[in-house]
Amino acid sequence: MTGDLLYDVRNATRSFRRGDATINALGGIDLAIEHGEILALVGPSGSGKTTLLQLLGALDRPTSGQVFFEGRDLNTLGDNELADIRLRAFGFVFQTFNLIPTLNALQNVEAKLAPTGVPEDELRARSLALLEEVGLSDRADHLPSQLSGGEQQRVAIARALSTEPRVVLADEPTGNLDSRTGTEVVDLLTSLSEERRHTVILVTHDAEIAEKAHRSVRMQDGRLLEPTLA
Amino acid sequence: MFYFRYLRSELVGRRTRTVLTLVGLALGVALVITISGLARGLDRAQKTALDPLSTIGTDLTVTLSPQQDTGGFGRGGGGEVVQANQSAVTDLSKLGKPGTQFVHDFFLPGTQLTFPQKQTAKIASLPGVASISNGLVLSAVHQEGVVPKIVAKIKAGGQQLDIRRQIKPPTAAEAAAIQACFQKLGVGVGGGPQSGTQPGEQQGFGGGRGAGGGGFFSSPAARKCLPARMREFRARITTPQQTLKQVVSPPQTNIKSSSYTIGGIDPAQQSIGLVTPSQLSRGRFFSKSGGHEALVSAAYAKRKSLKLGSTLDLNGTRFKIIGLVSPPLGGQTADVYIPLAQLQKLASQKGLANVVLVRATSSSDVAKVQKEIEQALGSGAQVASAKQVAASINGSLVDAANLSHDLGLVLAIIAAVAAFLVAALLTLSSIGKRVREIGTLKALGWSQRLVIRQVLGECLATGIAGGLVGVVLGVLAAAAIGAFGPSLSASSTTGAAGANDVLGLGQALARTASTSVSLTAPLSLSLLLFGFALALAGGLIAGGAGALRAARLRPADALRQME
Repeated sequence: MTGDLLYDVRNATRSFRRGDATINALGGIDLAIEHGEILALVGPSGSGKTTLLQLLGALDRPTSGQVFFEGRDLNTLGDNELADIRLRAFGFVFQTFNLIPTLNALQNVEAKLAPTGVPEDELRARSLALLEEVGLSDRADHLPSQLSGGEQQRVAIARALSTEPRVVLADEPTGNLDSRTGTEVVDLLTSLSEERRHTVILVTHDAEIAEKAHRSVRMQDGRLLEPTLA
Repeated sequence: MFYFRYLRSELVGRRTRTVLTLVGLALGVALVITISGLARGLDRAQKTALDPLSTIGTDLTVTLSPQQDTGGFGRGGGGEVVQANQSAVTDLSKLGKPGTQFVHDFFLPGTQLTFPQKQTAKIASLPGVASISNGLVLSAVHQEGVVPKIVAKIKAGGQQLDIRRQIKPPTAAEAAAIQACFQKLGVGVGGGPQSGTQPGEQQGFGGGRGAGGGGFFSSPAARKCLPARMREFRARITTPQQTLKQVVSPPQTNIKSSSYTIGGIDPAQQSIGLVTPSQLSRGRFFSKSGGHEALVSAAYAKRKSLKLGSTLDLNGTRFKIIGLVSPPLGGQTADVYIPLAQLQKLASQKGLANVVLVRATSSSDVAKVQKEIEQALGSGAQVASAKQVAASINGSLVDAANLSHDLGLVLAIIAAVAAFLVAALLTLSSIGKRVREIGTLKALGWSQRLVIRQVLGECLATGIAGGLVGVVLGVLAAAAIGAFGPSLSASSTTGAAGANDVLGLGQALARTASTSVSLTAPLSLSLLLFGFALALAGGLIAGGAGALRAARLRPADALRQME
């Protein structure tokens, strides 16, 4: 069952402690995701979609249950192995862009690629090529503060794609953009990913954006509302 | 290399934070360096100034103070002090002829009585005594100026005496006789000059030619004819007796007095003495034979603008200054040193000394030797050990040294801790503000090791820069202290003890020796390295701890942190 699947999430829960209270952000998620899929996680804020994305992206560990990625239970892996998976298999796009403010556009792309150990000239060439693909080759030496929101998110997409990941995880990538720019950014993300046969998991509360996905999964109160495709 | 570019971008991009951290580190390092340097400077000053005897090869000093009942060693008694100090009288009449320039130096033994040098052989023969040296330390008063001329001006004479007396006119009988006499001589009475007679001699009675009226009466005719009563006027006048009194203002004079101390040293002994070659700061020491040469304390030379090669004229004997010395404190110091024999001659103290410096054969014998000397010499002798001498020294240097002793270490530790804390807090706060960035890096796939390496690299760079700036600041501060720092003084009074009770002369005659040490903050390479390492360690430890904490957070938690 797990052989062909990219992700197999089994009864995953995640709870946080806030002082004395325990908040159950995710209550028993079962979800399977295939290679090359473009999946939208849709739901109101607080429904747990970002928490699920973080479990899928190995940014967090489930309180209980398992998250299998390519057949490996992420919870059994150490921090360094998770870091390596994030480096080579995942690419993140955040709502707030999360560019390193002191690095220019090119260096922000390089920041993801550098730990893979590519030689210096290749690092630069590949990063520049990616910036060109997102249409920002003329902005390579601009700091994030000198770029518009849409431009920053495009740099973030170039960064996410730089290590040729298997999965691109985007958390509300349009949340800080106006709708036109948002649509452009999502179109760019999906088209580039489809070209490369990357799997895309897109968290959004925007139905219009969700329509661009192959499949949408609705979430509410930490649970999936619709049956998953298995 | 990407990581270096990142490091540089991070340091340059967050200029304000970098500079703030750097300045904080630098100030801390400079503080540590300066305070430690100061403590060392005080220590050094303390060693040279406050442990004076050891630098002159001496364990004990022996002096003789006047007492009511003195034993066999000295001559003793309060009267001796007076007698010994009598020569302080300035006798103007003996200085030279009025109006001539004079220079004179008076040498006074103060309250340390002198004793014949041969008596000190007694000390040398005591067991446990390695060597002794005789010294003569005198208070000197130097006077120079012009011998005043005292001239009094008294005006006398010029009185006018007016005498008026009525001469009784001739009686009728006298008039007739005068008439007859004149007629007989052929002189007219009341007429002008008569021709035929001797002109100019015979004149009328009332003739105008005789100025003062001497003419007629002195004429031969008048001498003959006038009655004896009218021929001569005699009176005795006594002018009134008076006493002239005039206060004579003291004459203007320019006699300058200045006092200094002068010490006589046995030049044959160079390892023990009031000063030894180790106190020499410039020039050379006395030759063994000791000629007309002088050593001058550096402080006195500065005050009097004396240089190597200048000459001192002491009552007509010229001494060439061959060296500058920094005499140790401890009472037996002087401004000027000359060979003992020369001073004895100048001060008319032939064969006399007033201090004996004693070295024991071993330092453990000092207490024993001190007792022996006290017993051998009787109650008038004062035997002081190096420790006692050190204890008698006071002044700001002592205060500062005590302060440095008590507080220097504490201050240095406080400064070090402060520097360390500043480095740590600044680094921690700068990392605290970057937790989200660290979370992003981890989300991108950076390993914990890589994140920590990056942050530590920044701390290292800031630490090195801050440390270097701090070292430079510290060196500058130390140089500034050396250049503008306050001088500390240490002083020690001799001769006052014991004499106070006798005559109350003690205070007046006691000699106070003082030395001033300008405060410096000597630095050493190890101190600079220590300050530098401190900054580095502070930055690295705090950076390491902060980075570890942030890097160990789950990326999800780190990303959740608000910036």
